[in-house]
Amino acid sequence: MKFSGVRWARHSVAGVVVLSAFLFLEFYTNLFEKSVGYYLKWQNHKRPQLGRMWERDRQSLIAQAQIQSIRSSLDIQEENALGISSLKELFENVAPGFPLVVTREKFLQLYFDFPGQGSEQIISPYDLISLDSEKEWDRFLLKRFGPWVTLQFLDYKNIPVHEVFLSIDTILDVQATRSIKRGTLEGLNFKSNRIFNIGEVLPVLKSLDPVTQKAVFPEPRWFLEKNYFLTRIGVADIETDNDPLKQLVFGIEYDTDYYTGVLLIPVALELANNIMSQIDKSDNLVESKVDEQSLFEVIP
Amino acid sequence: MIGRLLQFLNWIIIIFGLISILTVSGIYIWLSKDLPQLPQSLEHINLSLPTEIYSADGERIKVLGERYPVNIEDISPNFLKAIIAVEDARFYSHNGIDHRALIRALIANFRTKKIVQGGSTITQQLSKNLFFSFERNWIRKIKELLVAFQLEVTFGKEQILEAYCNQIYFGSGAYGVEEASQTYFKSRARDLTLLQAAMLAGLPNSPNNANPFVHFEKAMKRAKFILKRMVSENLISSSQREAALNSRIDLASPKVESNPNLYFVDEVLAKLQKIYGKEFVHFGGLKIFTTLDTRYQYFALKGARNHLEALKGKIKKETNSEKLQVALVAIENKSGAVKALLGGRNYSHSQFNRAVSNNRLPGSSFKPFVYLTAMESLNFSPATVVNDEPFKIEIPGSEPWEPQNFDEEYAGNIVLKKALLKSINIVSAKLMQQVGPDKVIRTARKFGIKSPLGRHLSLALGTSGISPLEIASAYSVIANLGIYNEPYLIQQIEDFQGNRLYEHFYQGVQQYGPDTLYPLLDMMRGVVERGTGKIVRRMGFQHPAAGKTGTTNGFKDAWFNGFTKDISTSVWVGFDNNDSMKTRFGKGLTGASAAAPIWVHFMQKALEGKTKVKFPVPDNIKIATVDVKTGKLPDEFSLEKIEIAVKEDVDLSPLPMEDLIPKVDTKLKLEVEKLKPSLN
Repeated sequence: MKFSGVRWARHSVAGVVVLSAFLFLEFYTNLFEKSVGYYLKWQNHKRPQLGRMWERDRQSLIAQAQIQSIRSSLDIQEENALGISSLKELFENVAPGFPLVVTREKFLQLYFDFPGQGSEQIISPYDLISLDSEKEWDRFLLKRFGPWVTLQFLDYKNIPVHEVFLSIDTILDVQATRSIKRGTLEGLNFKSNRIFNIGEVLPVLKSLDPVTQKAVFPEPRWFLEKNYFLTRIGVADIETDNDPLKQLVFGIEYDTDYYTGVLLIPVALELANNIMSQIDKSDNLVESKVDEQSLFEVIP
Repeated sequence: MIGRLLQFLNWIIIIFGLISILTVSGIYIWLSKDLPQLPQSLEHINLSLPTEIYSADGERIKVLGERYPVNIEDISPNFLKAIIAVEDARFYSHNGIDHRALIRALIANFRTKKIVQGGSTITQQLSKNLFFSFERNWIRKIKELLVAFQLEVTFGKEQILEAYCNQIYFGSGAYGVEEASQTYFKSRARDLTLLQAAMLAGLPNSPNNANPFVHFEKAMKRAKFILKRMVSENLISSSQREAALNSRIDLASPKVESNPNLYFVDEVLAKLQKIYGKEFVHFGGLKIFTTLDTRYQYFALKGARNHLEALKGKIKKETNSEKLQVALVAIENKSGAVKALLGGRNYSHSQFNRAVSNNRLPGSSFKPFVYLTAMESLNFSPATVVNDEPFKIEIPGSEPWEPQNFDEEYAGNIVLKKALLKSINIVSAKLMQQVGPDKVIRTARKFGIKSPLGRHLSLALGTSGISPLEIASAYSVIANLGIYNEPYLIQQIEDFQGNRLYEHFYQGVQQYGPDTLYPLLDMMRGVVERGTGKIVRRMGFQHPAAGKTGTTNGFKDAWFNGFTKDISTSVWVGFDNNDSMKTRFGKGLTGASAAAPIWVHFMQKALEGKTKVKFPVPDNIKIATVDVKTGKLPDEFSLEKIEIAVKEDVDLSPLPMEDLIPKVDTKLKLEVEKLKPSLN
């Protein structure tokens, strides 16, 4: 009994010592706070990102993701606009409700790159010079509303300095004036007996007056700048519902480093006859037309 | 005996120990799911990019989420000592909890049986600011404490103190010590004097009550208390304290929260948040370029305040003239850009944006749309004659509608232009009766009015609410001779790197031909020259202008909406609670007396130095003078003539004599009879 009492006493003293030690350590070293703190630090990665600070981070991330998405979409639009290779494609790309913006430089490139004078139906080069002289024209915007297309020449604040309203028909006319196809003349259904070597045709073209030259052939610069090497010229019919055989189409075939292409130019029948009559190989086209069918459709 | 006592103590220790371990473990398990993760560093917690809003004239008109975090080296030691003295004297010796402060707070809270004292250390406050709500409850307090423990073992004291100084709110919209120093003393945080530091250190605990801009005495009292604490904590000497108390303290001018641009900014933010969401606007670090012209906005505010001040002396005493409110919207006609938007007389008193709210009736300002509908669908012209006489419209299942003229006088036969000049209600009601509300609503929609419009005849008198923004935009269609431009406030948005995210493109839509709208424009020019809006000319406004007044029943709303070739401006004046606006002599305030002067003040300033541009007369329009009673070319019997603009095909040839005779004044009848043989 006495022994048990002593043992308890020893235990009690030990307890008091432990408690005192704990209190001492807590008082002087903040043992409890540190223990909990280190444990929480050890577990930190397992805990969720909650609270105002993380919420702000999350919102910031959402905002940045949204900005990134808008930028990507705008970049795509810009790349698409930059990738437009012809005036025809520019008009084809404009969908109702989705305005299309291209830079002034791009527009001028497409405008003057058009193989002919069709682009002048949109705006004359003199009007372009006039717009440019104000030093305000920065970009070009196309919008489509029903059967109308609005062309706006915008200043730096996006205010139109000049506007042109065109009907879709006018646009289609421009598109149809001259078009480019990949492939050979045969691939576009030109008959072999109506295909001529370029060497046979060029002397005839050279002999024409400038107005006629422009009506049947683009500025030679157009081929030269692009490294298009002329090979052959063909002639075929365009058949329209109302007035068949009033127009023919010239196909000017050229080679590039990568492919063969054909520039198609509608030409009045009389003019075509006149040119063809000067080429040895040619007979009168109207006569030869009698037993031939329509060759192909020019306008896509 | 001693053995038993020790035994008992031993048990107590064991039980206490077990309970403590179980309690702490239990609490941790219970709360661990809700305990937030700590970031790797405290340096970047303030770095969300601010969104900046710019006016068209290049002013930075608002910055959202702007913070100015500074390194601890760039904070004055005076401030660090002061904030430690007042918020957490044992900051450098504890590990997140101050036992003494906690026991003191526990006792105080136990006594009052609610949380009245926090006893929070700086670390705990940082923990709360970073992660938790400001709601006071025990659970949040424990979480805050646990996170504080972790903060203490994860980061150094200096890092914690730096983060704290950059986080806390000092009142007057200032977060962080750098912004607070700039706001209150126009000084950098590193240059704070001892007295300035003590004053700032007193703010986090009561940013409003101790705000030196509002309660300077209280702020000084608290600063003195803090200096005393600093002495008692041995952070400064008594002589330093005395020197500080004898030093001079100069406050900066308070930021004026009544910045007139804020109504515009609010609308910009509302529109952006609706399209892109709150995160995009507040956390995107955007640069938003708006259409606002801060000079115009200033002219709008000045014009409005001056005139409301002038009205103060005239208004009946029982109505509180201080509460008379105003809204103004100015739109650039050629583009639809909103150049000024004032939603009330004082933003700091009321943020409700009256310029875009559609709960006020336009009154006669709506009449131009009724007249245009009649001219379009009934082939009427400004020379068409309508009889202004008392009349009643039977409405099935309802009381008959008996519109009244404003002055309760009737003009008899009168041409439309004159009727609009005089804003005759009967004529407008008759036109509405003939065309029907549906057609008028269709017309209003073509003018861009989007607010719900009631399909009833009284719409003729403007009984459906429309916002000043809508009216200004709709009137700009008239100024543009038929081209509608959607009003817009945002020109362009860029991200923080300057990449374009949005840009506005001009979207003009030709809603009417110029020759259709010019007659209406000419009628509205008449309103300004000789009609209900002639005060515009009397006040010396000389630019070619057109417009229309509007006053609703009981003088609850007063409008003047008008335009020049370049700008359309709408002004509304009224009480928010729909009180009547009456002078001390019982006379009501009308659109001409309450709103038009503000319009003139604004437009005169906005167009100062600019060329007076006439409205272009389109092809197919003829200008003629007609008899007000017959609407035909005048003859020698015409008593009153008026100049009108009509389409070329409108026949204005005089009436045959037989038709004319009964219509001339009775006094002249005999003379006409005498003349008849010679005329024939």
